[in-house]
Amino acid sequence: MRVTLIPSSDYTNDLIWIYLALILLDFTNIDFDQLFGTNDQSNPIMMLIWILPIFIFVLYGQRIQLAVTSGEIKKGIKKLDEYKTQSRTELIDYIKKNMNPKDDPTKKIDRFLDYFTIMPVDMDPNGIVSKVRHIVRAREDYSREHVRSLSPQTSDIELSKIQTLLEIATSLQMIYKVINHMYLTAKKQNNYPLILPLQMIMPFLLEEAEAMQKAIPAFKTCQPIGDGIGPMVVGKMMLDTKKESIAFQTVLGMTDYSERKLLLLKAEGPASTVGRPGDAVEKIVSKDRPDMIIMVDASLKMEGEESATTAQGFGAAIGGIGTERFQIEDIATKNNIPIFAIVVKQSVKEAITLMTKEIADKAENVRSQIYEMIDDNTKPGQTILLIGVGNTMGVQQ
Amino acid sequence: MMFSKEKITIAYTLEKCKQCGFERKRKFKEGDFLFAETTKCDSCNGITMIEKIFGESIEK
Repeated sequence: MRVTLIPSSDYTNDLIWIYLALILLDFTNIDFDQLFGTNDQSNPIMMLIWILPIFIFVLYGQRIQLAVTSGEIKKGIKKLDEYKTQSRTELIDYIKKNMNPKDDPTKKIDRFLDYFTIMPVDMDPNGIVSKVRHIVRAREDYSREHVRSLSPQTSDIELSKIQTLLEIATSLQMIYKVINHMYLTAKKQNNYPLILPLQMIMPFLLEEAEAMQKAIPAFKTCQPIGDGIGPMVVGKMMLDTKKESIAFQTVLGMTDYSERKLLLLKAEGPASTVGRPGDAVEKIVSKDRPDMIIMVDASLKMEGEESATTAQGFGAAIGGIGTERFQIEDIATKNNIPIFAIVVKQSVKEAITLMTKEIADKAENVRSQIYEMIDDNTKPGQTILLIGVGNTMGVQQ
Repeated sequence: MMFSKEKITIAYTLEKCKQCGFERKRKFKEGDFLFAETTKCDSCNGITMIEKIFGESIEK
């Protein structure tokens, strides 16, 4: 391509030089065969430059990928290690400050942190739920007593906070141990496929671990968390009602609404507990069969969904390991009681850290939805059981 | 994420008077529980109750 130069008095010297250089270069006349040395066999260096990387990637491709991926995972493991160490230190400091134990509790706490749970054999799943419930409750009860043994005069509220902090530290330690084990095994065996699942789950684990780490200040100061929206909704309705303890750390209140009997159930606040709603429902149904059960709980939002939005549905809205849900579903099925659910959506982090303003502002809206649900689905004279599901920390009744 | 500023969460307590409905927002202090009766109302001398405890995030 030839470009005709039209000189102008405004051109600077630099521009003229660039222009002239472009005229001298002819881009249409490039000989690619000559450039890459493919037209004859006389250029072995060029051949090596092309062929050698192919062989390297065929033979060592996985190892190169392993090295690149393991770098990212190592950063994640470092973060998990930091979370684990920080949570342990904060737990020990909190116990020393608030329980005033006679001896240094570090050794005992390290032993508590290493507690593990062996789930029952599931080869024959018949009756497995009661076995799981037994193991989980035994763990909860004994770890509570072990923590209490550090300082027997500790109040129940303080004890529940420490037990939750211990759960957080134990979970963070377990996550770190498992991930580090998988990483080291993959590195030791140069096993790239083994590191792939680790790379996939790492962002989710880091999100959960970060949420747990950030939840510690809320648990230390007994602030309501996002998961406490269910108890918050029901707790306010329970004010000025006759209350009784119906199951372990679970309280029942009774009131009337529009010629209907309203039974209100929640974990006993302001301690950090979810109570035992399964046992409570069993007791209530045996005495006074409700015509409808409404469960209010926090639920995990999907990506793209707005936080603090509410949704209504059917079925037992309760998380956890599944034993409480099984118990409630079982009783409801046997007694032919319909279960309605209202959930407030939130992220993992929002669910276990200090309640956001958006979630707290939804409480009144949920209460009006409950009344609407009762009006639409029951008749005067009927009994409704309303359960506020979730951790009731910082929420009285 | 490279340029996102670090956020800090501040805990607040919202008190509401049972009689006149007057609301007062203040910083959370340890010992605050939801639905606990706290102080006397500034406007009508009634009893205030903790209506909400929540966190608000601000950029550092």
